[in-house]
Amino acid sequence: QNRVITGKVTDEKGGPIPNASVMIKGSNTGATTNGEGAFSITVPASAKVLVISSIGLSAAEVTIGNKTTIDVSLKSLDKELQEVVVVGYGTQKKSSVTANIVTVKGSAIADKPAPSFDASLGGRAAGVQITIPNGVVNNPPVFRIRGTNSINLSTYPLIVVDGVPTFTGDVSGTLAASNALASINPADIESMDILKDAAATAIYGSRGANGVVLITTKKGKRGKAKVVYDGWAGWTKPTRLWDMMNADQYMEIKNEGLANLATPAAPRYLPTPGPDGQNINTNWYDYAYRTGFSHSHNVSISGGSDATTFYFSAGLTDQQGMILKNSFNRKNIRFNVDHRVNKVLSAGMNANYSNEYNKAAANSGSLPGAAFASAGLARLALTLPPNISPYKNDGSYNTNGNAIGPMNNKETIGFWNPVPIIDNNYSNAENDHIQGNVYVQLKPIPDVTLRTNYGIDYLNVDNRGFNTALIGDGFPTGSSFGNLQKNKRWVWTTTAQYDHTFFDKHTVSLLAGTEQQRTTNEGYGLSRTQLSDPFYNNIQGGWLTNNTSGLALGENYLWSGFSRLNYDYDRKYFLSGSFRRDGYSAFADGLEYGNFYSFSAGWDLAQEKFFANSPLSRIVNAFKLRGSYGTSGNISGIGNFASNSFYSAGYYNGAATLAFSQAGNPNLTWETSKKTDIGFSFGLFNDLITGEVAYYKNDVDGLLLNVPMAPSTGMPNNPLTNIGAMYNKGIEVTLNASPVSTKDFRWTTSFNYTYNENKVTTLAPGVPFITSVTGLETVNITMPNYPISYLYVIPTAGVNPATGQRIFVNAKGEKVQYNHAAAVGARYTYLDGTLAPAIDAGKDQVPMYNSIPRFYGGFDNNFNYKNFDLNVLVTYQGGFYVYNGTQASIRDQRFWNSETAVLRRWKKAGDVTDIPRVVYGDNVSNGSANPISENVQKGDFIKLRNVALGYSLPAKAAQKLGIANARFYVSGQNLGIITKYKGPDPEVSSNGNGNGNQGVDRNSVGNAITMTVGLTVGF
Amino acid sequence: LSDQTAFQTLDRIDAQVKGIYSAIKSGQMLGGRYFLYHDARPENFLSDDGNRVTIRAPWEFSLGSSDDECRNLWAAAYTTINRANLFLDGMEAGGNTVAGAKANEFNGEAKFLRALSYFCLIQLYARPYWDGNGSKRGLPLRLKGINGPGFNELAPVNVGEVYKQILLDLDFAETNLATTVADITARTTRAHRNTAIALKTRVYLCMRDYPKVITEANKIVSATAPFKAPSGVAHALAANITSLFSGASTDLENIFSMPFTNNDAPGTQNQLGHYYRPASSGGNAIFSLNPAGVIGDATWTKTDDRRKLVDTAANSKSYLKKFNGGAPWLDWAPVIRYSEVLLNLAEASARGNAAVDPKAVELLNAVRNRSDKATTYTVASFASAADLISAILQERNIELLGEGSRGIDILRLGLDFPTKTSGGFTVSAVPSTSAAYIWPISSDETRLNPLISN
Repeated sequence: QNRVITGKVTDEKGGPIPNASVMIKGSNTGATTNGEGAFSITVPASAKVLVISSIGLSAAEVTIGNKTTIDVSLKSLDKELQEVVVVGYGTQKKSSVTANIVTVKGSAIADKPAPSFDASLGGRAAGVQITIPNGVVNNPPVFRIRGTNSINLSTYPLIVVDGVPTFTGDVSGTLAASNALASINPADIESMDILKDAAATAIYGSRGANGVVLITTKKGKRGKAKVVYDGWAGWTKPTRLWDMMNADQYMEIKNEGLANLATPAAPRYLPTPGPDGQNINTNWYDYAYRTGFSHSHNVSISGGSDATTFYFSAGLTDQQGMILKNSFNRKNIRFNVDHRVNKVLSAGMNANYSNEYNKAAANSGSLPGAAFASAGLARLALTLPPNISPYKNDGSYNTNGNAIGPMNNKETIGFWNPVPIIDNNYSNAENDHIQGNVYVQLKPIPDVTLRTNYGIDYLNVDNRGFNTALIGDGFPTGSSFGNLQKNKRWVWTTTAQYDHTFFDKHTVSLLAGTEQQRTTNEGYGLSRTQLSDPFYNNIQGGWLTNNTSGLALGENYLWSGFSRLNYDYDRKYFLSGSFRRDGYSAFADGLEYGNFYSFSAGWDLAQEKFFANSPLSRIVNAFKLRGSYGTSGNISGIGNFASNSFYSAGYYNGAATLAFSQAGNPNLTWETSKKTDIGFSFGLFNDLITGEVAYYKNDVDGLLLNVPMAPSTGMPNNPLTNIGAMYNKGIEVTLNASPVSTKDFRWTTSFNYTYNENKVTTLAPGVPFITSVTGLETVNITMPNYPISYLYVIPTAGVNPATGQRIFVNAKGEKVQYNHAAAVGARYTYLDGTLAPAIDAGKDQVPMYNSIPRFYGGFDNNFNYKNFDLNVLVTYQGGFYVYNGTQASIRDQRFWNSETAVLRRWKKAGDVTDIPRVVYGDNVSNGSANPISENVQKGDFIKLRNVALGYSLPAKAAQKLGIANARFYVSGQNLGIITKYKGPDPEVSSNGNGNGNQGVDRNSVGNAITMTVGLTVGF
Repeated sequence: LSDQTAFQTLDRIDAQVKGIYSAIKSGQMLGGRYFLYHDARPENFLSDDGNRVTIRAPWEFSLGSSDDECRNLWAAAYTTINRANLFLDGMEAGGNTVAGAKANEFNGEAKFLRALSYFCLIQLYARPYWDGNGSKRGLPLRLKGINGPGFNELAPVNVGEVYKQILLDLDFAETNLATTVADITARTTRAHRNTAIALKTRVYLCMRDYPKVITEANKIVSATAPFKAPSGVAHALAANITSLFSGASTDLENIFSMPFTNNDAPGTQNQLGHYYRPASSGGNAIFSLNPAGVIGDATWTKTDDRRKLVDTAANSKSYLKKFNGGAPWLDWAPVIRYSEVLLNLAEASARGNAAVDPKAVELLNAVRNRSDKATTYTVASFASAADLISAILQERNIELLGEGSRGIDILRLGLDFPTKTSGGFTVSAVPSTSAAYIWPISSDETRLNPLISN
């Protein structure tokens, strides 16, 4: 028997809700509320429950019973419940996620003046450590998720762009850095989801150990098409440069050093009058650095109908670095469209083309391996004598063969003149990068989704360079090179997803899929020397000698099958498990397959009655426990053919040779990371404060080590062997709050803190430790029971006030002083003056300081006052030391210039100072010859990373102008720093993303200060 | 190419032999630096650029066990040795059958190169033979090929045993190498019988076994002037010394040289010319000639052709002009020349005769008179045998300047490395008792092979 039920639907404040849906549960019968929120519905006798829902509000279920009038007040939907997180091969409601995933919104980094998004992630998420290694434009940052998880393989996270794993790292073969991720215009990014624990990463199997970053690019939304223009212009310049001696001070110190020799020498460093008759006093910074100008423009059009949505964008960015002639230019176009053909079938595609031009003229000396480059610009700007000029008085370049001319100095100045190099040379990498995918999706029945996605990622890098014959690498005949590196990848992923809720409370989500990925690379090119005519400055010109350049050939293949099951009971108890089987081509037959799995569980206590009824619930409105355990692997950096032994071809007098070139390891397999994660999230005072705390531990087993072979074995390589073990464990804390929220003024703040402890537990038997080099110098050691990349130096104990000599501490713990003026063999004495054995780095270096930040994080604040907004982001890292090798360079007593600190050198008995007596030619006392603890400094810092002040046009004013919205802003990056570090920037890495050689600042350029002004207009 | 197929054809076996040559030709070794080290340590050259990368530490005797020079030469020599060992093992395991009649000639070349590598190592990393008559700590003697992990530990044998192995290999090489070589390039760039004999005269000289020097040298030096090899490849002095160093010189005086081509250059900061040539000739002027060194010797007359190999034009300093080809520095590096063999024989003969040895005088004269037509030595030119010996030693110093000979001579004679001064910076004399007299063992070795230490 049917009856009529009437009622009214209101919101929490009692306001009527029009157009709310009122349905009989389990049927298709329903009604809609009118403008007053009233409804009337005829229900059959069998009907038991009404479901009342409206967009943006949480649905309510009301038992009908005998009622004839039902008034319902709908609560606004808990934001948290609505929020969706991108997970591997799908999305999941944030409320049901039991994995540790952080989401960073694209808007947080969109207008930052960095070529790639990863450089802007610093301080924005717990567990994510971003270190910007230097001020070279488009240099990949050091990117670590939960510590350094490998010794020899890459520790860079897997980056997946719209489902396709992309290339990472510096792909340039030139002096200009080229981060592969710069192909993704930050303005096109919707969100970045950072997968940290096993529950999140195990689905990526053998590539998940370093964490995974899922990039979701912007898509169109239903509705009228929107046009948005973003643009900014900015200026960048160096900051905190070393205070170097001027010409007079330089000559004073050098000549004093000569006079301090055993046989005092007459002054050999003498002034040279410049063209104006004044003695030359060159500030070499003027010939290395500049204020670079940058600008960037993006236009996007997006929109769509019910069936079809699209997003189209074009970007142009041109960024000059603070190093002369170092720049980055990107032109990119992105297009995507999604179309629903019918209820069952939908399809779409997404394509991005990007052209990037990375330019440099001189070696910055700051990229990995370049710390001691003869032309390293940072080093030349510091060490070139200030009493000589890059130009002779007649205006021509000051050169003396392949060195700068000494002018009136009586010593050879064995460095290059950087000016002709900067004027004439180039070393550019041009990338053409196409990333795209197409998908077809079927929903044969409502609970089942079948999807297949085919993606490509083609990255061609065209490296070109020219070196003038005047000086430098091209001296004396000129040289040029050109090579093309083609990197191609395709990925084909097919998934089936089943979602269903049984008996109201049991929600199941099951995923199964397969994936194949093939990556190939090929490189070829020319290297030419002996320019036929100075007119030419390109590879196509006239050259007499041709060699090959950049030959490369490789391929690898990865096959995978994977599945995931999520289950929740009554949105209170959550369980999840995932499994993946990977097969990888680099491993020997029989060992190419590996299995990776994870389990996780969650418990939403706030949903429990006992919790809701307790007094605690008045303070704590949300509380959820979560834990996971599982495995993921690492293959990134294993050679394509690492399991094989090879003989390779070479030359002997033009004839082909054959020689043993690679000892393979047929037992090679992945590194496995066992990850544990336990955490909870909470909300206080009705989500006024929310937060998340997690403890994690990554145990990495089967670490691949290039097991060092004694050089007397004559082996061509140190074979890669799964033999080491290490762990990273730590705590992550994230707190978000809205301390002030009034009509006109709002302050929201977010703070995160990560503590990470890294320890190597096992290396190979017979291998007590592994040292790592920075160019020509060994400063790091990795050994069991220490964190990776420990600083490894010779201990020093100041300067002996009696003699002015540097005191070293040898392996026996004895104090030994060094006098460079004494005869060879008699330079080292004990403090009582008796002869001591010479300090030998091979014997006397000891592990002394941790170089990996123990804690790091960020503090992000947003203030809104009426139409003004202000963002202040502070980042910090601490608990680590930096080897300031640059300080060794600028205290060297050869012809090199020094920092002004050297002026406080020891002069007479009793002087207490940290600078030894200057002796000409002394490269030992201050750490140039061997690294010393005197040059190790605490690296802890707090940085004012970003300040942005914006003003949005009021809606009415915008309307008058015929636009939807507009915002102007001024922002500054890297504006200030608090640190005890003496170099320009403790946030440096002379070795880039190297694992075993972190914490080294050797002749690197620091980070720049950048100021920008920008505008966003929407139509 | 996989390791299983490397010995399947004669061509591949031949290519592997060349692979051993290419290892010893490394710029860290005979491609350049080995010679530079033996000229940096004595008094004839001054290090002017102060750059630690360019052989400063060996020059000033401050070389530590972890310095690149120390580590890289050690590694390059043992890489050659292991290639030779792997080759010899592979030949024994089946390669000999494939190579047939050529097998022992190939094996001879491998053993020659292994011997030469050990000889290079023992000069710098161990006390000279005379010190304890070979009883001092020598080197790890690796004679089996290594192609996988697990062989790090090996104790060194003493110096005498290393020399014994060198001679064993050279004797095998002498017996089995080709006697004559038709190809004039191969004649200078690959070992043949007379190459092995020539090297033996140097090895025995370093052991101070002068009668053996005479026995060996007499196999390739005719009894009377003009001196030439009576059998095998007809080595003899060139008419003019200045023709021996430019480009790809295959003159019969150059018994064994390291060849270079555009695709196969010595490598940055290894090239002889790069060190010795002034900026005006495209070099880096790293080593200038010490005015107090051999160029200051008044008996070395101004009209001597070898003075033409000294360049005094640039910035008031003198530079060695032997390797003058300019970038990319493809002048071949001479390893052993016939004039050295003559001087080896002269010295051994002089030392074997209490009086002034006429044959020694004749040999010395052959070398001197070739370049200095105005000077002719006779027995009467020398007051005593000792006088003759010092004349021979000085002749070596002049003749072989910049070819890596002087350092070896100082070591084998037990002399001090003399003091020298550059730019106000003085390196004092290093006596034969000093720890710096020889190089320390590479720190890579001592770290991974606990059975050896400094």
